[in-house]
Amino acid sequence: MSSIVRAHDVAYAYLQHGYGLPTVSLDVAAGEAVLIAGPSGSGKSTLARCLSGLIPHLYRGELSGDVWLDDLPTSTTPLWRLAERAGLVFQNPSAQMLTVTAEEEIVFGLENLGLSPSVVEERLEAALRRFALVRFRQRSPQTLSGGEQQKLALAAITARQPPVLILDEPLSMLDSTASMDLVAHLADLARSGTAVIVCEHRAQYLRTIPELRTVQLNGSTPTPLAPPADIAGSSSAAPHASPFTLTVSGLSVTLGGRPVLRDLSFSAQSGHVLAIVGRNGVGKTTLLRALTGLETHRGQITVDGERPDLGMVFQNPDLQLFNATVREEILYRLEDPNLERYAWLTAVLGLSRYDQTPPLLLSEGEKKRLALAVTLMRAPRHGVLLDEPALGQDARHKEILMRLAHTLANTGQLVVLTTHDLSLAAQADRLLILGQDGFVADGPPHDVLQHDAPWAEVGLRVPPWVVSA
Amino acid sequence: MRRGNSRSPSGFDSRTDDRAALAEHSPLRGADPRTKLALSLCASLAVMLPLERLAVFMALYALLLLWARLLLEAARQVWRLKWVLILLFILDWVLVGLDLATIVTLRIVLLAGAFALFVRTTTPGEFRLALEWLRVPHRYAFSVSLAFQSVDLLNDEWRAIREAQRARGAWSFEWRGWRHLVSQVRELVALTVPAIVLTTKRAWALTEAAYSRGFDSPHRRPYRKLRLRRLDLVLLTAALVIGILLITWRGIWGLVA
Repeated sequence: MSSIVRAHDVAYAYLQHGYGLPTVSLDVAAGEAVLIAGPSGSGKSTLARCLSGLIPHLYRGELSGDVWLDDLPTSTTPLWRLAERAGLVFQNPSAQMLTVTAEEEIVFGLENLGLSPSVVEERLEAALRRFALVRFRQRSPQTLSGGEQQKLALAAITARQPPVLILDEPLSMLDSTASMDLVAHLADLARSGTAVIVCEHRAQYLRTIPELRTVQLNGSTPTPLAPPADIAGSSSAAPHASPFTLTVSGLSVTLGGRPVLRDLSFSAQSGHVLAIVGRNGVGKTTLLRALTGLETHRGQITVDGERPDLGMVFQNPDLQLFNATVREEILYRLEDPNLERYAWLTAVLGLSRYDQTPPLLLSEGEKKRLALAVTLMRAPRHGVLLDEPALGQDARHKEILMRLAHTLANTGQLVVLTTHDLSLAAQADRLLILGQDGFVADGPPHDVLQHDAPWAEVGLRVPPWVVSA
Repeated sequence: MRRGNSRSPSGFDSRTDDRAALAEHSPLRGADPRTKLALSLCASLAVMLPLERLAVFMALYALLLLWARLLLEAARQVWRLKWVLILLFILDWVLVGLDLATIVTLRIVLLAGAFALFVRTTTPGEFRLALEWLRVPHRYAFSVSLAFQSVDLLNDEWRAIREAQRARGAWSFEWRGWRHLVSQVRELVALTVPAIVLTTKRAWALTEAAYSRGFDSPHRRPYRKLRLRRLDLVLLTAALVIGILLITWRGIWGLVA
């Protein structure tokens, strides 16, 4: 059988920092489903760009080796011709939306194929139906949920009927239900003859695709995990806080006239790691924002009668990083910083060797850990709130993250995190499921995961590997 | 507190109310974007009319906006400029005279309100088609329409940055006096660097997405074509007639006499 994608000894180095993708060869046949697995920084996204031809056409780094798409060499074939053969779906669902209605989004790619209006219409209708997007036809893509946006991106690409489909971490921003939904579509596409290549950390979701072939990319030597003794930290680096209770009563938030949180009440003890899960858009972020005081709200949020002092780590680290070096970033505007704490945090978060590196040159995962270090360095009295800390992080980084969260909890702090990664949520001390009308379940993760009813109520599906773990 | 809604990079939350939305209820939604562009351009050219004709034109334009249910929108645009308008009016009055003060103020009011008609009833896609009809190459027309639709997103991003920096104590909107001017300006770096990073990333993501759907294809064939309907013909004829009348008019007194 001839391969539709042939990559021979492909390697790539970015102009900015000189690394990207170590040498790899790959052949993919029509109808085959291939998972490109590997830790952060192993070059999964780079490979996706090499296979689709975006590298070398849009990037000016150093490419070696050869890639053929349908027997066309990618380096000398114009990009639009390559795009007819290989479609690429990206990680961030909202950042790949080019127009203001779902319909226009699909039409954009069809117009570029030079199809007659009647064929465009036919394919548009078929795509809307196939991905259950008919009712969103005239809606702005920016108002759709992450899962719907990602389906729209897939619809916009597959309507062009490329024989090869490449996806760059398509699941990382989706909740479990949306992820399973998307993977079912991918399995379907492979069955109907499309070569499907998926670069993804969350490999377990993809293993449900029959006859999935896995290609493992091995990155450069990863940062060694700090030994447990170092993680604990000395008493001066991570001082113990006295016990407290965070009490939330009657919390309500309205955003743009729409009630997001309604009369929410709960309390949390210091020394615990709380995980909050729920569908995309249910108000998890809003809850964290209200707890830090960023969101105007009704209701009481107190720690033993006073305002809580909680640090917040945002989903997107790019919002905060601006200094010239990692060290300056973490110590920015701190008078008389606790350098022992600084050494501890950078060691635990695997940032020690970047002391003098500009934050902008770090990988996405490293930036997220740096933003966490920035917040923790300010030593908020009662604890930290982490908004989707696992987003785009590989297994190792999640492990580092959870160990740090439990370490902080052990020093008497409160750690609250939101996530759609249920395997991560399962490692918390307490798991809460947030639905439209408040919490529908609350308890130790092991118990909460045993019950099907609350999950069904909020529309989340628990993947089998989370329950069995 | 004002709040953005794109705190999540994936834009999961629904849109808030204080943004520019399309006026779906306006009868002008059904008009051709070229017609609306022409009407708005006429209005901005009308600032050259002398005072009494300008006043008549503005009354007619206000009637058009009223019919299109956009008068409130236009008024809101003008209201934002209220301090500038008042200041200019007083300055012109004191320095030159009432006539000049009136005409300058009316001109600015017209300019501020003129494009509400176009902006509030035209989608970026329609705008792009109108530009392409004007022989702007697809590449540029598309980029302009992309910019047109990204304003809200940028606005949200800017708010999110301010908030995130305030949360870490890197930026506070607190005037500490002229003596600290330099350090306060330097603090703006905490906002501008993330803004540049985010905007560049977004632009790059859009570029990649566009190219992976054949943006550079020489075979592009438009799906929709603009078509003038009866409403457009009526509006354009009316604009033409009113234009001719205003240009040839010798003033109300001349007509009566």
